[in-house]
Amino acid sequence: MSPVITRLILIIGLFIVGVVMAVTRRLWAPAVTHAVPSVWRIAKITVAEARRRRVVQAVVILVVLILLSMTFFSYLSPEEQSRMLISGGLAAITVFGILLAIFVAAFLIPQEIENRTIYAILSKPVRRFEFILGKYVGSLIILGVIIAIMTAVLVFVLVIQDRLVQDLPDSAFNPNLKAVIFAAAMNYCAIAVLTGLIILISAISSTTMTVVGAFILWAVGSMQSTIHDLAEHASGASRLLLLVLYNVVPKLENFDFRHEVSNFMPVSLPGAMSAIIHGIGYTVVVLILAAIFFNDRQV
Amino acid sequence: MATDSTVLQTDSLTKIYRSLFTPVGVKAVDNLNLAVREGETYSIVGPNGSGKTTTLKILLGLIFPTDGSSSIFGKPISDLSVRKRIGFLPEDAYLYDCFNGEELLDFYAGLFGYSGSRRKELTDELLSLVGMQANRQVPFRECSKGMRQRLALAQALVNDPDLLILDEPTSGLDPAGRHQMTRIILELKRRAKTILLCSHFLAEVEEVCDRVGIMYRGRLIAEGTLAELGGEPTEIVITTEGLAGPQADQVAGHPGVVDVQDGSVRIGHEGAAQLWSVLEAIRRAGGSVVEVLRPRPSLQDVFVRAIREDTVEELK
Repeated sequence: MSPVITRLILIIGLFIVGVVMAVTRRLWAPAVTHAVPSVWRIAKITVAEARRRRVVQAVVILVVLILLSMTFFSYLSPEEQSRMLISGGLAAITVFGILLAIFVAAFLIPQEIENRTIYAILSKPVRRFEFILGKYVGSLIILGVIIAIMTAVLVFVLVIQDRLVQDLPDSAFNPNLKAVIFAAAMNYCAIAVLTGLIILISAISSTTMTVVGAFILWAVGSMQSTIHDLAEHASGASRLLLLVLYNVVPKLENFDFRHEVSNFMPVSLPGAMSAIIHGIGYTVVVLILAAIFFNDRQV
Repeated sequence: MATDSTVLQTDSLTKIYRSLFTPVGVKAVDNLNLAVREGETYSIVGPNGSGKTTTLKILLGLIFPTDGSSSIFGKPISDLSVRKRIGFLPEDAYLYDCFNGEELLDFYAGLFGYSGSRRKELTDELLSLVGMQANRQVPFRECSKGMRQRLALAQALVNDPDLLILDEPTSGLDPAGRHQMTRIILELKRRAKTILLCSHFLAEVEEVCDRVGIMYRGRLIAEGTLAELGGEPTEIVITTEGLAGPQADQVAGHPGVVDVQDGSVRIGHEGAAQLWSVLEAIRRAGGSVVEVLRPRPSLQDVFVRAIREDTVEELK
């Protein structure tokens, strides 16, 4: 199918969705009007609570220190140094971002139930799906701010390093800052998808189960191509299990552009767009499931 | 029996907790029929594990019944318009512990959609009502048990509710804290709020409640006003001075007198008509009358009697 036809289908599709939304406005508008402030309130308290957690502050400071300390690798050639800084910096942002996502999101709902703070909220005019959505939006905001801080520090380190080596005769240190920011933003998208999944698990299980489940999903999601290869060569039940994992767990590695950016390779924008669209669809489904399961949960 | 003024009602409400190890399940609430009328203060009393908190959690939609139904203001709790009209004080005051009173009340008021200025007004009013103005900036985790309980009550009042559900409001409080909490509940009662209260403290229940339901093993085994539950006074107690030894024996032998002990003369219900002649007998015996009382059985007596009767019934 040619790109023109694809775009045309997309525009017509969006137009139809817009018309349906406008016609059915009376059905969904009251619920949305009520839901938005509730979701926002819960998101805000989630952010405020996470902001005050020592572990979150400690991890952010640790990552900032790690990123700043990377400027001391001056024994490398400028090109190697550039590669190492970008790759290492983005890896640090990914790993610590995911760890923070797990420790922020996994505790949100189970802790509300274990600490019984949820009683005073659900007895107020707050629907359970608003609570779930508020927790998710709150997690996204706090994680977004953290990723933005880490990215800003990495960009700062790259700029400083660029200044330090620019007078060298064979300097090849020329980091593409836009590409670095793009890769960090894609990391954030992966974290957003994983956070949705963590919210789903936490809506139906305890804190410990959620943390364990989140780590497993992160591991599986980060090596989906390996799982696909294994499934190709497996048979019977193991093949079935691998195929289920491949199709159910989000493909987090599709959001990983570290290799391309650190090696100054071109980034596939359609690939990134496809990952984002799939991520949004996946997250919407996961959050709907979380709301359905949480609606029936006894707290 | 539900009437037009019924605010809260349960019909054959039943909750059975089942688990892997107890497939048959544990009946926490058993066929409960409850009706709380507008403007009254109704208390559910019962020993630990009698199903009081489970009942409240079902009413608030936090857990779901195995059977039966409940409604508040004639609607299910899932209806948001109902939740806009109720306030809930959970047992042991669980609120976000990293926020102070001001922040907490602002947050809870926000859930009702109040504007920023209204939230500020409400926060000031409620902190003042519960006596927390001076400690408004103290984080919840640093608050004493009494302060926490008062803040939790303030969050329950944030929407000026028509129905207030209080789960053990004085649990863990010292006598001064209990007195203060009771004073606040009485003030709310004066403002014609409908109050459903669960408590262990029978003296507090006696002080504030219009009607009482006694729950035991998930069932409502007795219900009514204190007078209805206690029945008519069964005796008259005359406190005397200067009545001892042979004079006391002389009074004890008087018709209608059941017992004379430590200066207290007890007349049985049947001997009430003899009161004046007993008083005359005390005077003749050289004693003087300090006080004449016709006490009703206390809630404690009623409670113990109801549970004993239910246990005997169960054994039969």
